[in-house]
Amino acid sequence: MRTASSPFMAALALAFLARPASAASAPQETTMKETPQAAAAGPPRTCLLPSQSSPLVTFRIQIGAGAIDDPPGKEGLNALTALTIGEGGTKELTYREVTDRLYPMAASIGAQPDREVTTFVGEVHRDHLKEFYRLLRDVLLAPRFDPADFGRSRDLLLAQIQTTLRSNDDERLGKEALNLMLYAGQPYGHPDVGTVQGLKSITLEEVRAYYRRQYRRGNVLAGVAGGYPSGLIETLEKDLAELPEGAPEPVKLPAPPPIDGMEILLVDKPAPATAISIGCPIRVTRADKDFYALMVAGSYLGEHRTFNGRLMNIMRADRGLNYGDYAYIENFIQDGGSTFPLPNVPRRQQHFSIWIRPVPPANAPFALRQAVRELQRVVEHGLTKEEFESSRRFLLNYSRLWTQNLSRRLGYLMDSRFYGTGFFLDRVQEELPRLTVEEVNAAVTKHLNARNLKVAIVAAQAAVLRDLLLSGAPTPITYQSPTTREDLLKEDKEIEAYPLPINKETIRVVPARDLFER
Amino acid sequence: MSDPLKIGAALMVLILGTRAAAWGQASKGGTKVFPYKVHQSSLENGLKIVVVPFDSPGLLAYWTVVRTGSRNEIEPGKSGFAHFFEHMMFRGTERYSKDRFNAILKELGAESNAFTTDDYTAYHILAPSSALETVMTIESDRFMNLKYSVEDFKQEAGAVLGEYNKNAANPFYALNEAIRDAAFTRHSYKHSTIGFLRDVKDMPNQYDYSLTFFDRFYRPENCVLLAVGDVDPQKLTALARRYYAPWRKGTYRFQVEKEPPQTEEKRVSVPWPNPTQPYLYIGYHSPAFSTTAIDAPALDVAAQLLFSEAAPLYQKLVVEEQEVDLLFGGASDHRDPYLFEIAARVKKPERVAYVEGAISAALEELRDKPVDAARLGKVKSHMKYSYAMGLDTASAAAGSLAAYLNLAADPEAVNQVYALYDRVTPEDVRNAARKYLVATARTVVTLRHPEDGEAKAGAGAR
Repeated sequence: MRTASSPFMAALALAFLARPASAASAPQETTMKETPQAAAAGPPRTCLLPSQSSPLVTFRIQIGAGAIDDPPGKEGLNALTALTIGEGGTKELTYREVTDRLYPMAASIGAQPDREVTTFVGEVHRDHLKEFYRLLRDVLLAPRFDPADFGRSRDLLLAQIQTTLRSNDDERLGKEALNLMLYAGQPYGHPDVGTVQGLKSITLEEVRAYYRRQYRRGNVLAGVAGGYPSGLIETLEKDLAELPEGAPEPVKLPAPPPIDGMEILLVDKPAPATAISIGCPIRVTRADKDFYALMVAGSYLGEHRTFNGRLMNIMRADRGLNYGDYAYIENFIQDGGSTFPLPNVPRRQQHFSIWIRPVPPANAPFALRQAVRELQRVVEHGLTKEEFESSRRFLLNYSRLWTQNLSRRLGYLMDSRFYGTGFFLDRVQEELPRLTVEEVNAAVTKHLNARNLKVAIVAAQAAVLRDLLLSGAPTPITYQSPTTREDLLKEDKEIEAYPLPINKETIRVVPARDLFER
Repeated sequence: MSDPLKIGAALMVLILGTRAAAWGQASKGGTKVFPYKVHQSSLENGLKIVVVPFDSPGLLAYWTVVRTGSRNEIEPGKSGFAHFFEHMMFRGTERYSKDRFNAILKELGAESNAFTTDDYTAYHILAPSSALETVMTIESDRFMNLKYSVEDFKQEAGAVLGEYNKNAANPFYALNEAIRDAAFTRHSYKHSTIGFLRDVKDMPNQYDYSLTFFDRFYRPENCVLLAVGDVDPQKLTALARRYYAPWRKGTYRFQVEKEPPQTEEKRVSVPWPNPTQPYLYIGYHSPAFSTTAIDAPALDVAAQLLFSEAAPLYQKLVVEEQEVDLLFGGASDHRDPYLFEIAARVKKPERVAYVEGAISAALEELRDKPVDAARLGKVKSHMKYSYAMGLDTASAAAGSLAAYLNLAADPEAVNQVYALYDRVTPEDVRNAARKYLVATARTVVTLRHPEDGEAKAGAGAR
């Protein structure tokens, strides 16, 4: 439930304990999946979803390069290259001229740089397809690399770190800080947009070189959906064949660092409330059978932005702690104003997470304890048959809502290639009916734990909160209005003293201004 | 109206495109911009029913539009109540408790939520079409028979405070709060939809008022039932007669106070506790939504001429001079006169005055010179295609119609207003700019970190 008082606001209105430690987390043994790579030679790969009844045509041109390809010290090179291209001119046209031509069509070209892939998404009404296609082609295949486009793009990325992340979006700051912890020192370990020093050190020549290295025929997957004529694909393939042959070697991903107890990073900044993100790497992706079992458990605990989840009900509805509490079994980015997962952000390595939306500072320790305790309960006792059945039924229908338009369906189709799953949503329909509650609970025991977790907390007076957490003292809830429910009061007593397995050696406080610097 | 505004929401999810995204049927001259057949009827109790068959096999978007929002919060101490009440609508009835209501929607795999705006509150469910009767059973029940305990009421206040806290970390909310509070003296648009913090904090004490609120506004003559998707209009209408006929009309009448004309410029500074690029937020009093008067459509066109990516001002400040990294503006549709808002995020604190000056100069040019007819044609093309392309799902089509059902209680309003856009002339734009985009009707809010104080703001920009 939300407010949307104007387009401005609407536009702004934009995420588990007692297993033996030894069994909790052994990511070192992980066999990492390789990104499916096209043959270095041959025609560019395509992913097509024609629908003659559709008046729209969507392009999703994906490059098999992401933030993981940023060289050390040049964090942000992938995003900056994508933005300089996607928001820049062509050899023939300045950015302004490109914009002038797109404008009357209300057509769009946007760059979506992510960890493993970068996707250029273009959409146009078929009335304008021919003219739009020429623009899209030239933006991608004949980029201008204008110093002005480069400078503007760099400023925008720097602002995302220095202004938006560090200062003005505590929820996202918490999620990025968790990511930083989960993959410290590894290719996944910096934001997609890069770092401040990384971005500042990148030259336009390095962007050009990165483009030459990554934007190659064997590294492209071209998705097209909608009401396009058959000749378009032939043209597209011919045009993409102009890219140099081959593809770079995929970046190898080491196993994420092991976690020893509850490792906490407190991010200190003035903040009206305390945002908390909790997580741990897991060894499953959509390619694995266990993913579908965990999907049911994750949905039970906290399906994104629904009122079904256990966490949402016990933390928000019963106790009024905050606006929402959710759980995820893969990296999750909400697609625009919808509640559904954004396509084209696939990863070979995934993590489990709990997102506790900002809580009043005094209730932050209680909220953390409650979420971790609930995770522990699920790991220890599993789902009941009824909980399993209702969550499975929900997902079987709900997942059908994820591809209401062709653009999103195309995105999911491309992601299915990445994971090698066959169409992901068909796989959901195949796997879920076969599952048993025992299999779901076995997957939970195998992949989730409530002991070895990383926790990012964005808080004002973070040192005080750190000391409170380290003291182990009970941290009772302060109700905005006292409850009279005996069952809650009784459980509150258990939650407020729930022992968090905090690793006292690794807990640290960092000013927000110091994060994502290098 | 379409979304003439550009905003950095995309930035927040790292989709770095800023070229406007928007599907639908071709909207060539003369055809209706909302191309789908709309079936309308109403019950004796005043409940309006709007059904739009849409190509979404097996799916139905089921909306209830309550034409009450924060605009209706005219009593002191009650700001934010419409939104708070929206939360309470999920707390159950005697027949379907909160848990039972959620369990039914879960069983269906439905997406269900609600939102509140200045003018209306919308409850929306996206569910399998086969579940039509189930959805209508539980929805009609809660609109007629909502019942919650004092305890539930008080706990929900915590969730609302949590929502306030979530928003409070974002400068745009602070800017929006400040500009309303300064620009409006009498009208209830003075407060934001979520309400003043003091009123949000007092909500747990307002149980009795919540019963009054439900009794006043959750009445059939104040609501529209909207269904878009794979649905038979006749079947839905017959079911509506069965499930909603017992809903009784209300008697409450109210009058929102008119805002007197603003006679001099107002300026407000908002200190921001975190280091940030400064924000400049400007509001000009602007006319209410209308399907007949040309001023509001002319201002929507002006917003495109000023702030779209193709606009000279945008190109100057964002692309060429690179003084600002976010720039957008326009008037959002409101039932009463609201504001034509402009927002800029400036790269350097000392350049705020320069940027304000550049915006003022662009407005002055709009007041002085009729816009080139070819540019106007491109704006009209953009607006039509943008709207049509946005109708790509049943939910999106429902969301768009809901706004017009609030504004005019008539789905045809969307076609009427786009017909007005077609008629906007260069003179209309100039006249509207002269009438509304004037300094005396302006409120300017700046948000900055205190260490970047006003002293560094430079001078001479008005």
